[in-house]
Amino acid sequence: MGFLVFITRNLLGRPARTMLTVLGLGVGISAVILLIGVSWGFERSMSAIYSSRGIDIIVVRAGVSDQLSSNLDAGMIDQLRTVPDVVEVAPSLMDAVSFEEANLTSVLANGWEPGGLLIRNLRMIEGRPLEKGDTRAVMLGRVLALNLKKSVSDELVIAGEKFKVIGIFESDSLFESGGLIIPLAELQHMMGREGKVTGFVIITKPEVDPHTVGKAVEAKISGVAAIPSQNYVQNNVQIKLSRAMAGATIGVALMLGSIGLLNTMAMAVTERTGEIGLLRALGWKRKRIIVLLMGEAATLGILGVMVGALMSWIGMRGIMLSPTSRGFIDPKLPPSAFLVGLAMGIGLSVLGGLYPAIRASRLEPTEALRHD
Amino acid sequence: MTDPGTSTPTLLRGESLVKTYPDGDVRALRGVTLEISEGEFVAITGPSGCGKSTLLHLMGGLDRPTSGEIAFRGESLNRLDVDRFRAQHLGFVFQSFYLIPTLTASQNVQVPMFEASWPRTERNHRAMRILEEVGLAHRANHLPKRLSVGERQRVAIARALANEPILLLADEPTGNLDSTTQREVLDLLARIRTERRLTMMIVTHSGEVAAAADREIRLKDGLIVQ
Repeated sequence: MGFLVFITRNLLGRPARTMLTVLGLGVGISAVILLIGVSWGFERSMSAIYSSRGIDIIVVRAGVSDQLSSNLDAGMIDQLRTVPDVVEVAPSLMDAVSFEEANLTSVLANGWEPGGLLIRNLRMIEGRPLEKGDTRAVMLGRVLALNLKKSVSDELVIAGEKFKVIGIFESDSLFESGGLIIPLAELQHMMGREGKVTGFVIITKPEVDPHTVGKAVEAKISGVAAIPSQNYVQNNVQIKLSRAMAGATIGVALMLGSIGLLNTMAMAVTERTGEIGLLRALGWKRKRIIVLLMGEAATLGILGVMVGALMSWIGMRGIMLSPTSRGFIDPKLPPSAFLVGLAMGIGLSVLGGLYPAIRASRLEPTEALRHD
Repeated sequence: MTDPGTSTPTLLRGESLVKTYPDGDVRALRGVTLEISEGEFVAITGPSGCGKSTLLHLMGGLDRPTSGEIAFRGESLNRLDVDRFRAQHLGFVFQSFYLIPTLTASQNVQVPMFEASWPRTERNHRAMRILEEVGLAHRANHLPKRLSVGERQRVAIARALANEPILLLADEPTGNLDSTTQREVLDLLARIRTERRLTMMIVTHSGEVAAAADREIRLKDGLIVQ
């Protein structure tokens, strides 16, 4: 018999308790994997909007917490073009629309210039991109087209106005794939924001530091914030919120998981005080008792990680049943999220197993044998 | 060190052993001195609560005396690694067997072997050989709950022999057995003692066990009376 067999036999000998502990750990770990996966997917998706197009700077109204609430004059574009080292500038109006018949709320609606830099890098799956002169024309992201069950040439009512689907595109960003694009002027008109945009994107010369160009923009135009795209993503309020939620979930899951495991291991020690006394009587050293109990805790932790990974995979499939989620949540859970789950399982094993193991190892053989 | 009455060397010596339990201020032993020679079979007898099991536990290093000293082959237990001493030189048999319910008979026998660092395959072979010795090879893969009471005690005896001890300490090994099974266990203990040249110290209420011993030490109120 190997030591692992001993550990396994001890756990299998109390199947109900082992199963419930593993399940409890699994729930906590799956919540962490899911939230981290969603949070990191959110960040990745937002970052892809800019990185896929080589955008270096985002210009928004100074002091606004997110781009949707920013409001700038579209005419500002001429001033931006004159800033040294700026290669290309594109305006963007961003808003959210709903398609209640498809149970979709807060779909990202982008108003972009036909033929502009924002449209140029999209991968067309079907139809064509917006061109100058297009009116009442809309491009749908792949996920949105799927959710709305629309294809090229279909008619679509957006905020009460009829549009014709002229193309379906795929983007590296799930937000864009879950949204739609219409000509900038059309969205300005529909939203009553003629001559206004929510922001600009800028491509700079490759050799210059975006921070320096950003500073030059802010010096030239008052009331704007010109933020390097990497910083913009990092400081985005939604991303900060999702990170905070993931962090809070990890904290709560760690607390509940370690209390659960501590309770299980403490019960295991109490129930088996006589057995531990016997092992000590047979000459087992304190260290070996600790290794045995920590081995049991680690096995529970590893099983919890496996169950948690499976539950998070199933959970993600469940989340993806909602059309709204499909437009915002990346279903691919990154391997790093599973690594965090694994680290949490190990952490819980150490936290929950160590105290009962040390306590058990300190029992004198006769004291423990008398317990029975 | 040699027993003054014989030429047999002393294996274990307890000197002025006192044991007081803090809970209730009970004085279980009140100054016991005894010597066990190598190869000797000693029965510790006396009424319930007279300190028999306490004495056995102290002599086996399971507990420490409040005062007094125990020496193994002349070396004080205070200077020895007591865990190692138990693992290498002692075998314990308890009245209520203390088999681990989730392990088979063979696995139970292997439990002490972890401290002797036998390789895994050797542990399996040794356990089978010892179970054969106690007549239970055919029950090697059974869990304790599938064994009779007598078989359980024989597994416990096999476990006590796992690391080739020189001293077997048994606390009422026949206390939970019917008379037939008691006889079988006694015969088994007598046989393994002869075959392995074991020193045995047995706490018992049984006159039959005491009669089979080389020497009987009788305790009363924490003192040796005979």
